[in-house]
Amino acid sequence: MGWQVRRGRQGPMTDSVAEGHFEIVNNLGLHARAATKLVQLASTFACEVEIAREGQKANAKSVMGVLLLCGAKGTIVDVTARGPSSEEAVRAIGQLIASKFGESS
Amino acid sequence: MIGAKGRRGSGTMSIADRVTSTSERPPRPVILKGIAGSHGLAIGPAIILGAFSHSFVRRTVKAREVDTELARFTEAVARAQEGIRLVVEKVKSGHARAETSILEAYVQMLGDEMVAEGVERNIRINRQNAEWAVSNTIQELCDRFGDMEDPYLLERRHDVAFVGERIIRALSGSDKVATLPKLIQPSVVLAHDLSPADTAALVKEPVVAIITEVGTRTSHTSIMARALEIPAVVGVADALGRIGPGDIVIVDGFRGEVTVAPTPEMITEAEERGRKHIALVRHLREDRDKQTATADGTTVHLRANIEFPAEAPLAVDHGAEGIGLYRTEFLYVDRAAPPDEDEQYEVYRAVLETMHPQPATLRTFDIGGDKFVSTFQVPPEMNPALGLRAVRLALSRPDVFLAQLRAMVRASAHGEMRIMIPMIASLREFEEVRRLVGVALREVAARGQKHAAVIPLGVMIEVPGAAVMADLFAREADFLSLGTNDLVQYALAIDRTSRSLAYLASPFDPAILRLIVTSVTAAQKYNRPISVCGAMASDPLAAVLLVGLGVRELSMEAAAIPEIKEALHRVSLAEAEAVAAEAMRQESAEDVERALAAAFAPRLFDLLADAAGETTI
Repeated sequence: MGWQVRRGRQGPMTDSVAEGHFEIVNNLGLHARAATKLVQLASTFACEVEIAREGQKANAKSVMGVLLLCGAKGTIVDVTARGPSSEEAVRAIGQLIASKFGESS
Repeated sequence: MIGAKGRRGSGTMSIADRVTSTSERPPRPVILKGIAGSHGLAIGPAIILGAFSHSFVRRTVKAREVDTELARFTEAVARAQEGIRLVVEKVKSGHARAETSILEAYVQMLGDEMVAEGVERNIRINRQNAEWAVSNTIQELCDRFGDMEDPYLLERRHDVAFVGERIIRALSGSDKVATLPKLIQPSVVLAHDLSPADTAALVKEPVVAIITEVGTRTSHTSIMARALEIPAVVGVADALGRIGPGDIVIVDGFRGEVTVAPTPEMITEAEERGRKHIALVRHLREDRDKQTATADGTTVHLRANIEFPAEAPLAVDHGAEGIGLYRTEFLYVDRAAPPDEDEQYEVYRAVLETMHPQPATLRTFDIGGDKFVSTFQVPPEMNPALGLRAVRLALSRPDVFLAQLRAMVRASAHGEMRIMIPMIASLREFEEVRRLVGVALREVAARGQKHAAVIPLGVMIEVPGAAVMADLFAREADFLSLGTNDLVQYALAIDRTSRSLAYLASPFDPAILRLIVTSVTAAQKYNRPISVCGAMASDPLAAVLLVGLGVRELSMEAAAIPEIKEALHRVSLAEAEAVAAEAMRQESAEDVERALAAAFAPRLFDLLADAAGETTI
């Protein structure tokens, strides 16, 4: 599926919104280790990052929230970032998911 | 689950007060049965680690107090994180090294934004004081994890509860000493369950024994207690309801018993047994470099079973001639993803280097269907023991299995390594494993990495079918190892974990003895080494019997080695063989035990006293 960033409606400069839809491709899905990596990455961005699955939303900067999404392999997650560097945040998260969180499978 | 379990309050009340009050109206002694988690005997006042017992005031705060409460929360989180970091440091510097990744995860969970958001909402909008706000937020999160179907996520609710408890303790300022109240005298720690953090924090405290309500011989608490050489009785139902803080208890880690409010006579008797045990252990340790042999000079090799790499030095300490069984599945426990090849390689290498020049037998992961699903996501099964486990699971996931095999192959460059395959039931499985070992060897060699020229590949005989076909396996494999615990379970159709049937699960059952003889005969025919690595090997009478049946290698918990060495030293091979022949003529497990006891108990009584209650494991 790869990542796709769509620029949403936005005010000038600061309030940019970016979205991406990604398929979880690693065998274990969003388990603790993967969730931790995702949260650590999201936390490096100043923007708000939300991750959702079938309408259930979670703060992408919370390990517990990400775990509770229950993102097994094959799940499509929607990542939405609001604020500075939102595009970079979504792109980076997409790459992390596509790289299987650095796991071997 | 905050506030749900602490029937007895926190353990900080004065032990002296409690002792005085119990001595005024002496209660009758009560004996509670549990599982012997770690050998030894200790007497002391109980101190309750009521992980969730911390009581706090629920208070509605005024608008002007909101900021204060928020600041208290933020500060408490930082303090709680610092507390866990201290434990991590302690564990890393202590002699009993343990896995710290779970503790590091706690640090992160303490600072979780979802917790912070929930707490802030409860403080700002619901006007709850910080403790109350944390408690409610954590309860809500625990409930959500509790609704999960995935067993891995379901288990995470304990972590969430632990995190909440840490914050609440930090809020009340009672988190000074890691997770334990400051112990003013040597004490027996009692808890429903001990988290890895709690157990790790015991390292430097004057803890003489551990009692838990849950757990088995292989649970984290038991393993840590053994590594720390503290007696432990686990799986004591309703221990928290029946033992109060300060109650004097005798913890008998041999029989798996806890005596509450013992009589002076009972204390004297226990002290006497404890002293004898310590003296015996000391005496036996002094002999640790002595070769193990029967009274008439037949050499027997005693090796250690280990679960964690940190146990390898302990094995050397106890005089083990190598590792007979390294249960590598413990590397996979408590984590979402299997350890990668490099991580495994480092661990195996450390074990091999510690044991060098003695051999170490690494058993590929024996992960059961219901046990560590998180790593493999195996669908739930009706009978996990008969399901997709051990080598079956490995062959269903060649990617994970090959990573382990490559790590082992690479580690073989650093010592005398053997690879052992668990739960083999058919020759085809063994051939497939052998092919994969070949693949791993070629892959490692292709990268230019070093490995041993020869890596012996052996089979665990624990499925009765494999014992019956032992001649085929002896022909094909480099060595055999009898896993008597599972062999008993499968051959006698007795669930290992069933406590009501435990009395039937005897390795002395004639059916088991015949399967052992079949395997030993097959191994001898092809001149292959055969060892026994079940709990049977660590029972003095059983060890003598096994030697009489032709076994020359036994692998057991390191702590049992000195006693078995002493037992074998007192018996000649000729006697062992004569009694083994007699045992083979018996019709029941009881008759076999009787025959053995009649022949050897008078000579081994001091060793047997310690082994009481161990024979049925």
